[in-house]
Amino acid sequence: MPRSSKRTRSGAPTSGNDVLPGATSIDEHHHHKRSRNSSLRRHLKAEDTSFSVKKCLSWFKEYTSVSEPDVLGPEGMEKFCADLGVDPENVVMLVIAYKMGAKQMGFFTQEEWLKGLTELQCDNVHKLQNKLDYLRNLLNDPHIFKAIYRYSYDFARDKEQRSLDTEVAGALLGVLLPRWALRAALCEFIARERRYRVVNRDQWCNILEFSRTVDAHLASYDADGAWPVMLDEFVEWLRANDSSMPPAS
Amino acid sequence: MIRKFKVWNFSEPYYQMYPDTWMTMDEKYVERIWSLLKNAIQEIQKKNNSGLSFEELYRNAYTMVLHKHGERLYTGLKEVVTQHLETKVREDVLHSLHNGFLQTLNNAWTDHQTSMVMIRDILMYMDRVFVQQNEVDNVYNLGLIIFRDQVVRYGCIRDHLRQTLLELVARERRGEVVDRLAIRNACQMLMVLGINSRAVYEEDFEKPFLHQSSEFYRMESQKFLAENSAAVYINRVEARISEEAERARHYLDESTEPRVVSVLEHELIERHMKTIVEMENSGVVHMLTHTRTSELGCVYKLLSRVGEGLRTVADAVSAHLREQGRALVTDTLHNTNAIAYVQNLLDLKDRFDHFLQNSFNNDKIFKHMITSDFEYFLNLNNKSPEFLSLFIDGKLKKGEKGMSEQEIEAVLDKTMVLFRFLQEKDVFERYYKQHLAKRLLLNKSVSDDSEKNMISKLKTECGCQFTSKLEGMFKDMTVSNTIMDEFKEHVLSSGLNLYGVDLSVRVLTTGFWPTQSATPKCNIPAAPRNAFEVFRSFYLAKHSGRQLSLQPQLGSADLHATFGAAPASPPAPAAPRRHIIQVSTFQMCVLLLFNQRDRLTYEELLNETDIPEKDLVRALQSLAMGKPTQRILIKHPKTKEIEPSHQFYVNDAFTSKLHRVKIQTVAAKGESEPERRETRNKVDEDRKHEIEAAIVRIMKARKKMAHTLLVAEVTEQLRVRFLPSPVVIKKRIEGLIEREYLARTPDDRKVYNYVA
Repeated sequence: MPRSSKRTRSGAPTSGNDVLPGATSIDEHHHHKRSRNSSLRRHLKAEDTSFSVKKCLSWFKEYTSVSEPDVLGPEGMEKFCADLGVDPENVVMLVIAYKMGAKQMGFFTQEEWLKGLTELQCDNVHKLQNKLDYLRNLLNDPHIFKAIYRYSYDFARDKEQRSLDTEVAGALLGVLLPRWALRAALCEFIARERRYRVVNRDQWCNILEFSRTVDAHLASYDADGAWPVMLDEFVEWLRANDSSMPPAS
Repeated sequence: MIRKFKVWNFSEPYYQMYPDTWMTMDEKYVERIWSLLKNAIQEIQKKNNSGLSFEELYRNAYTMVLHKHGERLYTGLKEVVTQHLETKVREDVLHSLHNGFLQTLNNAWTDHQTSMVMIRDILMYMDRVFVQQNEVDNVYNLGLIIFRDQVVRYGCIRDHLRQTLLELVARERRGEVVDRLAIRNACQMLMVLGINSRAVYEEDFEKPFLHQSSEFYRMESQKFLAENSAAVYINRVEARISEEAERARHYLDESTEPRVVSVLEHELIERHMKTIVEMENSGVVHMLTHTRTSELGCVYKLLSRVGEGLRTVADAVSAHLREQGRALVTDTLHNTNAIAYVQNLLDLKDRFDHFLQNSFNNDKIFKHMITSDFEYFLNLNNKSPEFLSLFIDGKLKKGEKGMSEQEIEAVLDKTMVLFRFLQEKDVFERYYKQHLAKRLLLNKSVSDDSEKNMISKLKTECGCQFTSKLEGMFKDMTVSNTIMDEFKEHVLSSGLNLYGVDLSVRVLTTGFWPTQSATPKCNIPAAPRNAFEVFRSFYLAKHSGRQLSLQPQLGSADLHATFGAAPASPPAPAAPRRHIIQVSTFQMCVLLLFNQRDRLTYEELLNETDIPEKDLVRALQSLAMGKPTQRILIKHPKTKEIEPSHQFYVNDAFTSKLHRVKIQTVAAKGESEPERRETRNKVDEDRKHEIEAAIVRIMKARKKMAHTLLVAEVTEQLRVRFLPSPVVIKKRIEGLIEREYLARTPDDRKVYNYVA
């Protein structure tokens, strides 16, 4: 992604042919700065810190079609991700969706777009790119992560159903909890056991708690811990099928 | 020796007589006084006190003490007494070791006591003043101590005393006669020598005595156990305990009684509890099997003496009872007959109640044990609820020969006891409803009072939720009768046509009566159908908004039948015969078809009647394949199976002695397996609802509750009907969370909130 040309002009030292401390060059620098100063700074200020609703909306229009001017659909989403330089499966997309309060995975309404990007103060792609690290870091706060995790249930759910299809749930867990040791096992379990075709909200929320409180060897699993039956059965299945798991105490 | 002394008035006149110059006494004078006293004491010890003057001696002693020479007196006394006991008394005793030892010792003791009393009297002032001030032993006790240490506890005397006493006891135990008085005296002496404690008696006699007793009885018990049955052993033990108690009371010190009895209990009973109880061919199990009620009583009495005795007996009885019960309940050979099954259980209960009352003194331990054992094995067989209901059904049905109402009541009370042991009371309720419905609808109850009685018993046990529907069933019957009366009047007054059918309808409220999964279809023949329509209009006119649906599986019909209009072949009788046959509704449908056609195949019958196959088969089996006196139809071919092409036709050769013939439906005594499974499914469904209702009820009241507590509460509330498993309860909680009746609290996922 080409860096903005303004940056080099503003005086960031180039590597290698660094200017030796000498009045002239410094003066040149200063001269540089001074001559460009007022208009440049003004220009920069206006660019970096202002947020224009108009700009934001016209940016939105880059991704909508004539037939559906108010909703950003799957095609537009693809383009959006490409522009942003982010894999659509990347977890940061979920954070963005969360900020927007998007209701349906794969779609942004104009309202949602505006809401989210206003909060982030981004009215073009570059600004949003600059925010990506910030957005990723939000996930490190356990409270925010929990909120995003819970949000993603409704986001990913088929609105005709109350519950989340097992497949979708599995994929979502892959995005949200990629480093949870038991994730693959749980996904295998619910895929295998045909009786679990959907994951309901209570089960979904408890999976997060489970990943946070129960260790990979199930030593801290408490049978009286009011876990949903599905997770109890998962533990049983795991203990029966995985020889590396110590048996129940 | 006659005492010459009189009670002395202890004023001290002497002091007044002797002025202060006498305050100090010189040594010589003191010694002189002391010699006097010493002599006197020695005379007393030699039993020569008759010539002594009490007054003078007392005065001398008093003087010495007054002038601060109490110490001298005291020391002197000690010396004199010691000397006498050492040189004279002890020697005498030692000489008598093998010749009248106990007698000699006892005499010495008596003499000592007597002389010490006199000496004490003389020296009483010293006792009161010097002894008190200097906190030394008083005169009498001093004497006891010296006697104890110098005589009784002197080396070989001590040992010999102990050995002698123990030997005497041992001999008496072997059956010999011994000198009890001598032992008694010795024991009393030891007690006194303890001076306000029983330590001397205990150390010198009792401890070794108990030790010896312990050894003796240990040996005896082993020998006796090996040679005798439990009952005999027990009697022997009782006898020995009495004997030892009596011995202690009579000639040992009576404080020994509980101690020695405790030794016996330990050696004879406690050590061998299990052996006694479990003895082959004579232990508790043998006694139970052979109904040795009084022997068991003896066991109970004996073993209740020791801490864990009754537990041991109860464990043995329990093991036996459980085995019996388990065998009864799992006996697959005989467990098709519900009546026998329950009767056997009642008999078993009676048997053990008999033991409880007559052998075990109604002891709570045994009562609880019987209850828990019955609870255990009754619930091993999951058909117990059904069988129990069938048993009661049998008792409440007509035809129960020769039982008076009181007898029936008594049996039902006993049955209720078994009911209490059931874990799955809701299953019982379901079956009871079914059976009651049949009794009411088929008019089979022996008496309304007995029925109502039974219901009130159930109400007492389970509350009105259990019985409200049953009572509803009764109400329906009464109301139906009223409706029928009104209907008959209505028909008469309006001159309605009932198509020649004498109709009788019972209206059942759906909620009360056992539900069918679906009302079976049935093509009712024209006449009864039309008659019913008349009733339907009448009823719905009175109760608009209600719906009536006919239940053909529960109905019956009386048909006028004429046989032999065209006799088949001899030896069939010639003249046509008329009978009234009582059949089920299904059978009616089948039979009426033969008014139009002579022969019908099974397939045709199936199509025309529209009756479900299994019901049609049952109906045909009773009509065509039962006893000859019941065979209204003939089946061709005469196989057991019914194929679609098989034919049926009226049996014109039918005869019966009775004018009114009742066709018995081939009824299953109890359910078939598929039916049982269906019932179980229904029960499980109901349970789900009951669990959810309980959860909601509890949460509504408490608003907030932790998971484990909620599970416990729910289990507690439902246990009168059945025992829900924690997993099932958890699943219901999850269901309620999903339907948003409950939610987990945000702070703690293990605690639930009620969502209003």
